[in-house]
Amino acid sequence: MQDGSIGGSLNARLAGVVLVALCLLLITGCAATPRLAPATEQALPRQAMVENVPFHAQTDYQCGPASLAMVLNHADIDVPMETLIPQVYLPGREGSVQPEMLATARRHGRIPYVLNNSFDSLLSEIAAGHPVVVMQNLSLPAWPMWHYAVAIGYDLDREEMILHSGEEAQRIEAFHRFDATWARSGRWAFVALPPGTLPSTVGERRALEAIAAFEQVQGPVAALPAWKGLVEQFPASGMGYFALGNTRYAAGDIQGAIVAFRAAVERREELGPAWLNLGLLLAAQDETSEARHALNRAAALPGSWQTQANEALSRLP
Amino acid sequence: MQTFRRFLSPFLILALVLGSFTVSAAPLPASDLISTQAALSAESADADRERIQEILSRAEVQEQLIAQGVDLAEVEARVAALSAEEAHQMAEQLEQLPAGAGVVGALLVVFIVLLVTDILGLTNVFPFTR
Repeated sequence: MQDGSIGGSLNARLAGVVLVALCLLLITGCAATPRLAPATEQALPRQAMVENVPFHAQTDYQCGPASLAMVLNHADIDVPMETLIPQVYLPGREGSVQPEMLATARRHGRIPYVLNNSFDSLLSEIAAGHPVVVMQNLSLPAWPMWHYAVAIGYDLDREEMILHSGEEAQRIEAFHRFDATWARSGRWAFVALPPGTLPSTVGERRALEAIAAFEQVQGPVAALPAWKGLVEQFPASGMGYFALGNTRYAAGDIQGAIVAFRAAVERREELGPAWLNLGLLLAAQDETSEARHALNRAAALPGSWQTQANEALSRLP
Repeated sequence: MQTFRRFLSPFLILALVLGSFTVSAAPLPASDLISTQAALSAESADADRERIQEILSRAEVQEQLIAQGVDLAEVEARVAALSAEEAHQMAEQLEQLPAGAGVVGALLVVFIVLLVTDILGLTNVFPFTR
């Protein structure tokens, strides 16, 4: 009888151990070291470190303003962390939210580009010399501990990230631990770059939207180098040339705007707004026959610009 | 509820359409060009409705920032720096958005769980576990 009860408790203990071991296996299975695409691994240097990223230690809940100050200072914006606190910190949430991190970078004349949620693009940006703000959940999803840090370096051989984080400059985190905490934010990350410099991993659409949002806040003169940079990196972008045309026009360069709109419709024949804007500018320059052609194209393409195109056509001599 | 919705939706659509007229009928000079922002949003969806949505979102965000204790002198500039999409996101789900703070307030049980996960390399709460 006694033997039986000892056997029972042993069995229970064994079951418990097995259960815990299974749980651990399950969790650790998720925390594997992140793998890079073979092409990325080939292209990247084994080690990289962004030099001259000043470190700001966070105070209380201020990892958002501290991270922003580090990337902005690196991008030659001389703004102290104390100025950023009232601009990005939310007292009611005791933290800073992602949209306002981006908006504040924009306010200080740098263009925020959100990266494409991959380890590949994170390392590629670091290798290109751009410090990256990352959002991590250092804890578990049930008790989140959201945190911003600045990734400034990596070592592929030692599988380590280097981050300015919290109160620690150049903190070293193993790839698997970093990725486990970063994955909980959906691998959210952004770079803040001066107009004219594009992230090495950004897609055309994302770049267009980032620059358009920047232009709305900072105006056409500040955005002009950014659009030039965009059409250099994406020479086939009709929308990029269309945007360049608008910005040149807003900055007072009408001839330059006409050149850009022509380039836009060459690349995207079906881009109605570009035909309309080209036609309107040509009409104002009394180049009637080319204006008529452009406005006819705009009027023929379905969209909200058709009314405006028809009105302009009726005003032509 | 279903019939109520059926009754309500035409009015909502009408309100949106009328609203969009007042916005697009703002006094633009005849030669004014189509903006990049308008062309980009026209490619994604109905531009006028998005424009209205944006105005509403920005007003909403302004109220929320004040409620969250942001300095009144800063509110307007903070809202103005948001893109249309960000303003929409803030208006819709500010409460759910993660706020990076870097500090955890936790109970003893949680402490032990996090200690174990820290040692396993899954989390990074305690500096001494590295």
